[in-house]
Amino acid sequence: MVAETQSFDLYVRGSIPAAMSGSLFVAAARRHKDRSRFSRWHDSQADLIRLDLLPGKPGRIRARILSVDPWKFCANSKSARPFYPFQPNHGLNIEGDSLWATNLLFGAPLEVDLRTWKPRRSLAEVPLRPDAPQLSSTSHFAFDLDRRYAYFHESALTQGDRTVLAENLVIVRLDTKTGTKRTWDLQAPQDDPAAEGHNFHSAFYFEEAGKPFLGLLRTGAIVESLAPHSVPADHDVVPMQPSTIWIVQLDDSRSTLVATLLPGIRQLGAIALSHLDVDASSRNGFVLYANYKQADVAEETHGENLYGEQPADVAEHYSGMIVEAINYGMVFRYHRVNGQYSLRSFSRAYDSQRTSLGHSWLPINIELNSSRNRLFCSFAGFRPRLLPRHIARAYRDAVVDIHRIRHVPSLLMRFDPATLVPDFDNQRTYLSYTEPVAFAVAGDAPNDFIWTFSPETGLKLYRSHDLSQVLCHAVSPYLMNWRDTHFRPDPAHMVFAHT
Amino acid sequence: MALRRPSVEGPEFASLVRQTNDVLARLEANRFDFATVPELFAKDAAADVIAKEIVHVHDGKTMTRYGRLIMGGVGSHFNLMGPIPPNARLQITPTTILSDVNRQLKSKGLSDLPEYRKLGNVEEIEFFNYEIFYTLRDLAFWLVLHDAGSFPSSLEVMVRHIAAGNIVQSNQYSPRKPSRNRKQPAMMAAGCLSVSFPTSVVEWMDKPIFGGLAPDTIHVETLLTSKKSGVSHPYLPLQREGKLTLKGKSYYYRRFVGVTPKDGLRGPNIKAENAADKY
Repeated sequence: MVAETQSFDLYVRGSIPAAMSGSLFVAAARRHKDRSRFSRWHDSQADLIRLDLLPGKPGRIRARILSVDPWKFCANSKSARPFYPFQPNHGLNIEGDSLWATNLLFGAPLEVDLRTWKPRRSLAEVPLRPDAPQLSSTSHFAFDLDRRYAYFHESALTQGDRTVLAENLVIVRLDTKTGTKRTWDLQAPQDDPAAEGHNFHSAFYFEEAGKPFLGLLRTGAIVESLAPHSVPADHDVVPMQPSTIWIVQLDDSRSTLVATLLPGIRQLGAIALSHLDVDASSRNGFVLYANYKQADVAEETHGENLYGEQPADVAEHYSGMIVEAINYGMVFRYHRVNGQYSLRSFSRAYDSQRTSLGHSWLPINIELNSSRNRLFCSFAGFRPRLLPRHIARAYRDAVVDIHRIRHVPSLLMRFDPATLVPDFDNQRTYLSYTEPVAFAVAGDAPNDFIWTFSPETGLKLYRSHDLSQVLCHAVSPYLMNWRDTHFRPDPAHMVFAHT
Repeated sequence: MALRRPSVEGPEFASLVRQTNDVLARLEANRFDFATVPELFAKDAAADVIAKEIVHVHDGKTMTRYGRLIMGGVGSHFNLMGPIPPNARLQITPTTILSDVNRQLKSKGLSDLPEYRKLGNVEEIEFFNYEIFYTLRDLAFWLVLHDAGSFPSSLEVMVRHIAAGNIVQSNQYSPRKPSRNRKQPAMMAAGCLSVSFPTSVVEWMDKPIFGGLAPDTIHVETLLTSKKSGVSHPYLPLQREGKLTLKGKSYYYRRFVGVTPKDGLRGPNIKAENAADKY
């Protein structure tokens, strides 16, 4: 493992409250600035950005960027290769002095020591073979109620006739204090057997009738080719099937766990179930908040767009970049107690005449505050010229009307978690358009805060009850670039920790 | 944006101000939703920054930008708006820094680029009626009063800047011969715009928002620093770097050149946000 670091101070305007003493962590992806160079965005060089916060007016923010094995994706490197044991450009899971960073889909978690800011090990538990050269693992771990144990899945990926298949599914339990692990084999539900869709972006833990359970958001991304395209041409897209949630009872006495489906989820009929927050503190069921992206997350941008424009004619086209949604997504609240459930959802198109209502285009982050009386969700919006025609063709009945849709700005919005209704007021303190999608809720209610971040707009701090006034804004040009590469796409996630 | 009502005389102006106040009261009472104030939607907007040649000077404490902007527009009067820090100094004053830098780099600036040369004749214009807006209400008031209008999505960009403590500056400009043809907009160049503000780091400008005419922006941007720097542009590739001297002072330069997409782009032949949309 080779690690490179870079450190620099941000320029801070405003003030950093004392309660914000700690650090923010962001997983970023880095790509060449030449937009015509095809590079699948999952595979891009990953960098972990750490922002150490020193409270004061203006206070101080120091960035430390950690790149692990940066040679892997250098086109000029003889060591460059299509598969990799880890490349953590997406999820961030923290407990104690450890960070486990993950890719969106491929590879194993990378464990990083927060004290030294150096990588320790990768957590690959499934053996690779020549015909199964890549792993998949859960991006966002589940933690038990005292955060002693973290849970995630792993599987090997093989190339099938038409799609990539997941095999050797295992559940991994990681002891966050000792670093020891145990694994169980995982058996799919009888009514969800299709191995091409067995990938799980997020997981959650709950207890019911005194027994521990794991919930796995079965995202269902269908990857046609394990290796990136050698020539990024239009191709047939195998459409994703509706996502669902697997429930697994954790049982130390068994070596194989059998999953069942959580009732009521698949019937929602939406795709790319991705992120969640959960309140399982009752120890008898849970309240789950989760989102559907309505985007074919296994694909990437290339080829002709929805309007028949060629990439060379579309300056915003970025070959191999994260794919746009086919339509607006959904956030839902699932309350389960004593085996019974109730369901609420929020799903809304963007109405430019009534921007105060918000929208649900490409939901990304979802997070409760510490007292669980505020729920924050970010939505990436929509850039119509970046949706490839060959992807839209696979979702003919669900894709947005291209003659009516326009650019939809990104949005951060606060909800009432009990009702899943936007937390409306006349001053519009509950929403913030054109906000980066990466955010972190920090501090203790009622004085909790929300940080937002993107390399270009920098780091911003709000009080969680008022998104109309920034308390602190910090920027640096070194957050945008690493030599001739730049950080793209915008990071999806950020986590705050007292360090 | 194009101004459909650049100015009116005496008593009519007083009346317009009162009416505009009523419109703003309605807007504020309805969470700034345009549905209740359809007159705020811009109509037939077609004005954009087409190209920009900028020299950014950072001395470790202060960032100063000198810009020559090339705007295209359909109509007779326009305004150029942008956020700046509240402690910035904005000036419209003669300077030779762009040509001085180009001379030393043996460059013709924007004219080196075929994309720019294709634009044809560009008329030299001057900015006038400089304004500062401190609140969203100030800004919306001015847009309604001058029948410039706005788009909800674009206005949200300004909302974010105001929330972060920035102010919005606006300058008007006008071509000698207005165009009424989208395919042949008036091309106007304004030099001598500079903005300076304290910061310990290099700060780049935001991408322009699409104004209905040019989805891309052509750039020639040169960063001058008193110490050697590895600072790179967020979107543009590095064209060259080295050292130069301006008025007896040495600088390290890094030049970035290219074409970038604007923010808020929509598909071809798709109308801008408007009051007639049905959702």
